[in-house]
Parts: sequence; structure tokens; C-alpha cells
Amino acid sequence: MRIPRNCMLLLVTVSTFGTGGSAYSAQSGSQIHQAELSTIVFFVVFAALTLLISFWAARRATSSSEYLTAGSSISSGQNGLAIAGDYMSAGAFLGLSGAIYASGLDGMFLAASYLASWPIVLFLVAEPLRRLGKYSFADVLTHKLRERPIRILAGTSTIIIVSFYLVAQMVGAGELISLLFGIGYGPAVIMVGLLMIVFSTLGGMRAATWVQIIKAILMIGGSAMIATLVLVRFGFNMSDLFKAAASNHPNGSKIMDIRGFAQDAVATLSLGVGVLFGTAGLPHILMRFFTVSDERAARVSVFYATCLIGLFFAMLFIIGYGSIALLRGDATYANASGALFGGNNLAPIHLARAVGGSILAGFISAVAFATILAVVSGLLIAGASSAANDLVVGLSGRQLDERLRLRISRSAAMVLGVLAILLGLACEGQNVAYLLALATAIAASANFPLLLLAIYWDGLTTRGAVVGGTFGPYLVGCFHGNGANCLVKGTGSWSRNLSVRLAGTVHGAPCAVCLLAGIDRQG
Amino acid sequence: MQGTSLHKTTEVVLSRAIANRLGTLRFRLVLAMIVAYLAMMAFLIHSARHATQTAVVASDSSPAMVALASCMAFSVILTGLFVLARHGD
Repeated sequence: MRIPRNCMLLLVTVSTFGTGGSAYSAQSGSQIHQAELSTIVFFVVFAALTLLISFWAARRATSSSEYLTAGSSISSGQNGLAIAGDYMSAGAFLGLSGAIYASGLDGMFLAASYLASWPIVLFLVAEPLRRLGKYSFADVLTHKLRERPIRILAGTSTIIIVSFYLVAQMVGAGELISLLFGIGYGPAVIMVGLLMIVFSTLGGMRAATWVQIIKAILMIGGSAMIATLVLVRFGFNMSDLFKAAASNHPNGSKIMDIRGFAQDAVATLSLGVGVLFGTAGLPHILMRFFTVSDERAARVSVFYATCLIGLFFAMLFIIGYGSIALLRGDATYANASGALFGGNNLAPIHLARAVGGSILAGFISAVAFATILAVVSGLLIAGASSAANDLVVGLSGRQLDERLRLRISRSAAMVLGVLAILLGLACEGQNVAYLLALATAIAASANFPLLLLAIYWDGLTTRGAVVGGTFGPYLVGCFHGNGANCLVKGTGSWSRNLSVRLAGTVHGAPCAVCLLAGIDRQG
Repeated sequence: MQGTSLHKTTEVVLSRAIANRLGTLRFRLVLAMIVAYLAMMAFLIHSARHATQTAVVASDSSPAMVALASCMAFSVILTGLFVLARHGD
């Protein structure tokens, strides 16, 4: 039964790529044609590779533990690369480079905050998660608390976070694919969504992990190549690079400093708190600790991931300033006001073309595409795991057997995939980095306080956890709604809007903790 | 018999001592990371608000860049220190 279904899915995928290719070939212009041809070649190679991996993994994914956690057989080095791959998402690669291109060092402030969150993950949650959990972070909570309400709460927050994260990835994917294949945003989102569903439903966590590993290596290699070529242009002299960037940017030497984020101290503090603690509540990151064999492997994998992410962000810094120096003012890539064709989020791809020609641009585009595919697959599996193990168990009140859990997980992955396509279509034009931060803020005020107190405080009760875990994100939602008005009206800079939206975290997260503690004392 | 029991007791005491030491180390490292991050943030906000006094020449790396880079390096170093510490597992 499985083989014909797989073949059918493969045909659907290949025909989807075929459609993209023919849409492209209708374009004119020899230079563009050459560039797009190389892009398509890389795309097809990566798509074929990921599909092969998913079919290989699908043969092994006969149990829920194999499908959701790769049988906890991933090594620490592999897991470190996969975690790093999760962080080298399209949001980080395209969004942060675009942010640096738009406003200078403000973009790097986010990068530093994301990196600083990893020691918190390592010191507080990585080992306890591996020791106490199996499929989702709710397993840790249910060691102390009543199962049903906690699983419903954890499942709901996970699905919300995963949905926001998915939207961010889908928006990035839509922009990227529509530019590269010359097709509309809508068909691009649908194409990526279909591939994502095929990949996640078949291969599960093992496939997602291996694609993340390959992608992380390619992403680091590609970024290193662009950064090196940029530095070659400036004779490996950073001062010349900064000088060229400052002379090209309308803000001049102000791009060397933090500006947007420093306007409102409370909002900036909130952003910091949100990002610092949010990583420790992101479901797809927490899931990674279930794929390794023991606590030591979990610990070492975080170290590898931190080093790789640090290296990646350092290269993004050069790519960001390199794009200001080389792309602004060049009519091939940007208009008169400095906005890049296709959006500022495409800064690294335009820069790859500027310094390495069409081959490098095609390679980077395909890597960015593989990034999106790998990250959304991991997200889908995290969501599917939580849906099967938390929501279904919590709502039905009974434990699932292996076959039923596997079936529900695969169905949930498919449903979430369709939801991601619909949300991606609805959120066209949103800032990718902002959407990631929104998901992180909710994770910081919902999952992280619950997880922290469940691990380190014996006095936590179910009632306190449910009230605190619900009220914290609610406050975040209120503040984010306020920020959303700014965005809809188009007032303020993107960093200001981001800060306002994240302002809820500084109130939401401590309120959640206080409520958890206060109600527990009364209980 | 007594020798084996004594050996096991010593092992238990050792593992508890390692766990306590790690708990303290864990707590101190978390505090160090949070303090370092908040210090970086405070510096960035302060330097941005006093931009005229701390204006940088475009060709140099700015104090804000140095602060960000230091915080990023500190994150990696802290993580490495914790992984290198003896965990007893």
C-alpha cells in the first residue's frame, strides 16, 4: 500500500517543480535566464535529495517514537548541526540580513539576543527535558501535574506557536520562490506547502534531522563563500567595508549603532526578555532534545549548536553590511529609494549574485529553499507530536497505542501543513523577522515559565499552571494587538513596531510566573 | 562485602556532591548570562541616547558593535565552560 502512495506523492511533487520550471522559461533576458536556469538546477537537485531522504526515512518510520523522535538515535554532533539548522532558518538568513540592509546594526541586536538564549536553554531545560520527556515538553509537566488539563494547555500553546512560526517560514518561502521562478506569490506558497506536507508526512523526524544537517552544512558553506567574496572586494579590510556601507546608506554612520531599538527602553527590555527566554519554550527546538540518547548528548549538542549559530551570525553581519555597500545605489538590484527588487529580505541572494554571479545566487537560493523546507518540516513534526500526544490525549482522556499515535501524528502533520498554506496566503507582505519574534514572545510567556517551574519548583500545582500558562500569553496577545495597529497603519519603523509588539513579553512572562506562584500558594 | 558497600556509599556521596556542585554552577552561569545580556542592552540604550557624545567614525567598529560581539562571544564561552565541567554521567 505504501509504495504506490509514495510514488503518487513523488509525481505530484515533480509535476509541481515542472510547473515552476515552465513558468520561469517563459521569461526573457539572457542574463536572467542563465541565472534562473542554474537556480532551477540546484532546486531540482535539492528537492530530489530531500525526497530521497524522506523515502529512506519513511521505511524506518514504522513506530511513533521513530517517526516523532528518530528513535532517540541521533548523535550529539548530528543533533548540534540540526539545532543550528533550525536556527539558520529563512527568517534568520533572509530576515536578519534584510534588517541589517534596511537599518544597520539593529538587525544584529536580534542575532545577539538569539545567541544569548542558548546558554539559558542549556543550563535550565536541555538535560531535564531529555531525562523526563519522550515526545513533547508536556511529558515533563505531567510528572508533577494532572495530565488532562496540562496536556490540553501545552498542546494549545504549541499549536499556536508552531502556526506563527510556520506563517513566517511560508511568507519567506512565497517571496523567495515567486521571485526565482517568476510565478505568483500564491502558487509559490502552495508549491512549498505541498512539498512540505509530502516530506513531513512520510519521513518524520529522521528525515527532517538529516535534511537539517545537510542544509546547515550548505548554509554555513554558502554564507562563508558570500562573506569571503565580500571581504575580497574590500581587500579583507573591515574599515573599508564599513566606510562604503556608511556612504551608501541614507542614515550614514548611524548604521554602525543601535537606533530603532533604543528609542523605548521598556520595549527593548521586553524584546530581550522575550528572545532570551523564548528559545527555551519553542516546541521545535525542545523536540530536538528527545532525538538524542542521553543527557550528555543533549548537553554537547547545544554546545555545537551555539558555536555554529555564532559563526553563522558573524557571517550574516558581513553579508548585511556587504549588501549595503554593494547593492544600494546599484540599479540592477535596488530602486532609487534603496529598496531591493523583490523586497529587502532578498538581500543575501542579490548579494550572492553581485559577488559570485548567477551560479552562487542559484546555489544560495536553493539552500534558502532547502532551509525553508527543513525548518517547516521540523515545525510540522513538533506540531504533530503535540497534537497526538497532548491535545488528543488531553481531550480524549485516554492513552494512545503505537499505531494510533503514529496515524494521528501523520494526519496532524497533514492538517497543519494545509493550515500553514492558508495562513501563508493570508499573511502576504508581513515582515518575516517580526513573525518569528511574535512566536518567540508567546513561547517565552507560555511554555517557558511552565517548564521552568515544573522542573525546579516542587510547589507547582495544576491550577496555578493552567491559570498562569493561559494569562501570560493573553497579556502578550493584548500588547501585540496594540503593535499590530501600528503596523497596519504603517506608522513607525519596523524595529519600533517589533519592540511594541514584544512589549507584552516583559509583562506577560513575569505575570505568568507570579500567577503560577500566587495561585499555588493559595492552593 | 563491607568493602563493596563502602564503595557504593562513596559513589553515591560523590554523585550527590557533583550534582550539588553542578546545581550551584548552573545557577551562577544563568545569572552571569542574564547579567551580561542586560548589561549589553543597557550599554546599547545608553550609547544610542547619547549619540552626539559617542559618535563614531564610519570606518571604525562602533562601541555598540563591540558590545554585541562581546555578548555573543560570552554566550559561546559560557556554554563551552558548562559542557567541559565534570558532570558525572
